[in-house]
Amino acid sequence: MSFEPKIVAFCCNWCSYAAADLAGTARMQYPHNVRIIRVMCSGMVHPEFIMDALSQGADGVMVLG
Amino acid sequence: MLDTKKIGSVMIVGGGVTGMQAALDLADSGYYVYLVEKTGAIGGAMAQLDKTFPTNDCSM
Amino acid sequence: MTLSEVTKIDGKAGNFTVNVKESPRYVDMEKCIACGACTEKCPKKVDSEYDAATGKRKAIYVKYAQAVPLKYQIDPDACIRLQKPGACGFCEKVCDAGAINFNDTEKMHQLNVGAVILAPGFEAYDPTDAGVWGYGVYPNVITSLQLERYLSASGPTEGHLIRPSDGKPVNKVAFLQCVGSRDENLCNNGYCSSVCCMYAIKEAVIAKDHAPGLQTSIFYMDMRTHGKEFDLYMQRAKEDSGVRFVRCRVNGVEPDGSGGDLRLSYVNEEGRQLEEFYDMVVLSVGLQTPKHVLELAHTADIKLTADNFAATSDFAPVQTSREGIFTCGAIAGPKDIPQSVVEGSAAAAAVADLLSPARFELTTEPTFPKERDVSGEEPRIGIFVCHCGSNIAGIVDVKAVDEYAATLPDVVYVERNLFSCSQDTQEMIVKRIQEQKLNRIVIAACTPRTHEPLFRETLKAAGLNEYLMEMANIRNHNSWVHTDNPKAATAKAKDLVRMAAAKVTYGDSLKPISVPITQKALVIGGGVAGMTAGLNLAEQGFEVHLVEQTDILGGNALNLKHTWAGEHVPTQVAKLVDKLVCNDKIIIHKESTVTGVEGFVGNFRSTITGKDGLTKVIEHGAGIVATGGDAYTPTEYNYNSITGVVTSVQFDKLFELKEAHVRRARRFVFIQCVGSREEGSMYCSKVCCTHSVQSAIALKKENPERNVYILYRDMRTYAQREALYKQARKLGVIFINYELHGKPKVTENGLVIDVEVWDHVLHRPLKIEADMVILAVAIRPKADAAELGKLYKVPVDGQGFFQEAHAKLRPVDFSTDGMFVAGLAHYPKPIEESVAQALAAAARAATLLSKSHVYLDAVKAAVDERYCDGCALCVDVCPYHAITLVDKPAKDGQAAGKVIVVNKAQCKGCGLCQGTCPKRGVYVSGFTMKQISAQIQAALAV
Repeated sequence: MSFEPKIVAFCCNWCSYAAADLAGTARMQYPHNVRIIRVMCSGMVHPEFIMDALSQGADGVMVLG
Repeated sequence: MLDTKKIGSVMIVGGGVTGMQAALDLADSGYYVYLVEKTGAIGGAMAQLDKTFPTNDCSM
Repeated sequence: MTLSEVTKIDGKAGNFTVNVKESPRYVDMEKCIACGACTEKCPKKVDSEYDAATGKRKAIYVKYAQAVPLKYQIDPDACIRLQKPGACGFCEKVCDAGAINFNDTEKMHQLNVGAVILAPGFEAYDPTDAGVWGYGVYPNVITSLQLERYLSASGPTEGHLIRPSDGKPVNKVAFLQCVGSRDENLCNNGYCSSVCCMYAIKEAVIAKDHAPGLQTSIFYMDMRTHGKEFDLYMQRAKEDSGVRFVRCRVNGVEPDGSGGDLRLSYVNEEGRQLEEFYDMVVLSVGLQTPKHVLELAHTADIKLTADNFAATSDFAPVQTSREGIFTCGAIAGPKDIPQSVVEGSAAAAAVADLLSPARFELTTEPTFPKERDVSGEEPRIGIFVCHCGSNIAGIVDVKAVDEYAATLPDVVYVERNLFSCSQDTQEMIVKRIQEQKLNRIVIAACTPRTHEPLFRETLKAAGLNEYLMEMANIRNHNSWVHTDNPKAATAKAKDLVRMAAAKVTYGDSLKPISVPITQKALVIGGGVAGMTAGLNLAEQGFEVHLVEQTDILGGNALNLKHTWAGEHVPTQVAKLVDKLVCNDKIIIHKESTVTGVEGFVGNFRSTITGKDGLTKVIEHGAGIVATGGDAYTPTEYNYNSITGVVTSVQFDKLFELKEAHVRRARRFVFIQCVGSREEGSMYCSKVCCTHSVQSAIALKKENPERNVYILYRDMRTYAQREALYKQARKLGVIFINYELHGKPKVTENGLVIDVEVWDHVLHRPLKIEADMVILAVAIRPKADAAELGKLYKVPVDGQGFFQEAHAKLRPVDFSTDGMFVAGLAHYPKPIEESVAQALAAAARAATLLSKSHVYLDAVKAAVDERYCDGCALCVDVCPYHAITLVDKPAKDGQAAGKVIVVNKAQCKGCGLCQGTCPKRGVYVSGFTMKQISAQIQAALAV
């Protein structure tokens, strides 16, 4: 089986989360490996979260804001 | 108009984007609103549009 | 009230009696659950009005998938049973809810209301009878509205652009403008429909996105992209998307062979007869007033213009000829979405002015059951999986998600809904929460950005704290973006549900924050927009402070003589100033500017500084920015060195004063777009075409012997202004088109001024000898707009005009709560649009000011005093200055020290503090460390 990375993305409610919504509205297709966690601002993402995600097996973490 | 008591309700004829905006603003500022629509559902012409300028948002 | 029409309006302003006829729906709205079984079984198909006849619907149907109310209806003209008693009746048999009622009858209602707003809209022009375009004869000639449906993912072809005749992909499409507009020969619509240029460009760009390699050409007379950021969009369409623009009028559409191809013949700008071939031709149809609206206007007894639109004044653009009856939207002239939305709010303001004594007399606050205390309970999670029709269920195996959800910890109830957001499902969710004693809810559906408020209300209605709910976005972030991989989409949906369940498990009941509102408004700017907004709010009963920079009220309108419709501006402005000065609820601060701002929605404290340097602090709940704009001072066309070259504003004065130079002059040249629509200011100033045409008409009327030329790029006499353009041509005004790369040259030649412009027809430069050259100068934003914007945290756009919250749907709101915009400060516009926008801003402000308290979202930072040690790292990072450091007295054996406090009214819940705090001493309610950690863990658990 081919490698399927797991990616955790922290998305700001006001921009990147909205952008992800819009990508849906526009039916833009993208890989299914990303799991989005909504935050009220990317500044809310504590460094601990990134460590948490990586230590629990995430292959990548995105903080989008 | 002093002799007539004013009624705190409004009728809006047409449930398109314009009528809906008027209805929301009036309801939000303390008036009772009757929204009268000719067809079976509100939405008007804008609901028929695919996307709108400038953001190409879905018009729903 | 749907399927309803007004049949009679009696009474007068403040007290009308209206008769409404409600046609039978033949479906019981209470019982219908919108399952769609009836439609599936219905054997009768007819053209769908919603799809503009590009698709079919059944005789029993919903208007569209997201319709409100989402209830089926029977079309009595198409229904077999209703046409022939005893026949068919399949729908009745399959309806489990027993909602079908063939015996439904027409109902008459009589309602007592204080005012009536007419917003019946428009219809698209039907080009069938005109013949020349072949609409209705050649299947590949369609209307723009039909193209919208073809391009829509919810349309008949699910967004694939294919030819109606043979289903082949389209490679080459032509848009023909002004079909049913600016045309008194084929139809009787002399006016411009205002919106078609822009929608044609949009459709061309989007069609290109749908079908890569698609060639699109737009055949037009003038491109009228006069709205905010429209010209930029046109430039991008031209340069980035490769949309081709051809200035001409197409003679007609003919078939080319029998394969469905089409041939266009037209005369180009050089006067040559040309032919081109296309797969598909789109007719950009105009807007017109439908017959039923003409009847409505008759019923309402209101006056119409010659173009069959409601007659209104430029200074009262939503007031009809009958007091107490108002209009908004396309009934009062063709207009685009933002302008229609503006007028919707404006009509609300006008009504509120009339009915303010009766405010709150007939309304009741929604009441919710007492909130259940769930703090001691173990989590009992209920999960509702939405099909969103086929939007989710068409890709994701919702049954598998449902089954999986039931296996998650603490989940006690799972259910699937066709549309979780529909009214009946809402009621059902309330019921389930109560009977199953659910205390945590997951809605697996669409995006919380649009639907979270709705579901929060649902929880409240069930007596559950509204924050004990989490949405799993399995539509926008899943089914819509993994269309081609249903298996992965289903797996991802399960993950998203698991993540939401994990987060909500650690959710707490939160209380929204209530902030009192200062029921006063501040209006910045004493021009027409500012005065109109201020006066309306005062008439509604609110105290208004109006700040004006100069020592005189009136703003730019003081330079104007007549509106496009011919109303005398000085008289109207004087009336407005009088009313303002006499209103004891309005406090006017002249020669003052805003120099400092503190606070937030409902509780602003603005400092204003007068000419004398003295400052005053004004407390207000809402603010309206109506600071206006300035006329551009040209440097081009030798404006500075030739005395006979003047700006349009200067010319108006000279003309009015019958100044000798103007009186003697025989040859006038107007140059359009001076400072507009070019690099650095790529926007249309919207008013100058009409203004120059008006001046030209006045010159010609005074002396028909005069030669008047207007050098233009596109004549933008939009909407009913087209009549002026026509009149000017009739009077012999000569219109010469120039392009940006070939601007006219203006030089002094003794006593005359030489104007040189390229003549497209003759292919050579044309020299006009003029006595006077009038420059139609642009409207510029105020130089200090950005500075004021910073004080209120409201943005300006790339040009320097104030930026509204949403170009279409929130045209007068700022993204900062409690602040609104109107007039030229927002974008160049004529008086009636400024007035409408000012009324709209007043209406929006009134929605706030009419309340004594505003409730803010409970997603705010909170201090955990167990961990906060007063290090103050968060104080500096907080962008809203909501955190302060205070002393903490010794307590419970702990030593005295420092701790932070959060001003919840100022906090926006961004959580920079949470991200910064090294000790978990501060967190954001609803997004706690624990909740997000749980979400991460759940994301990676499988």
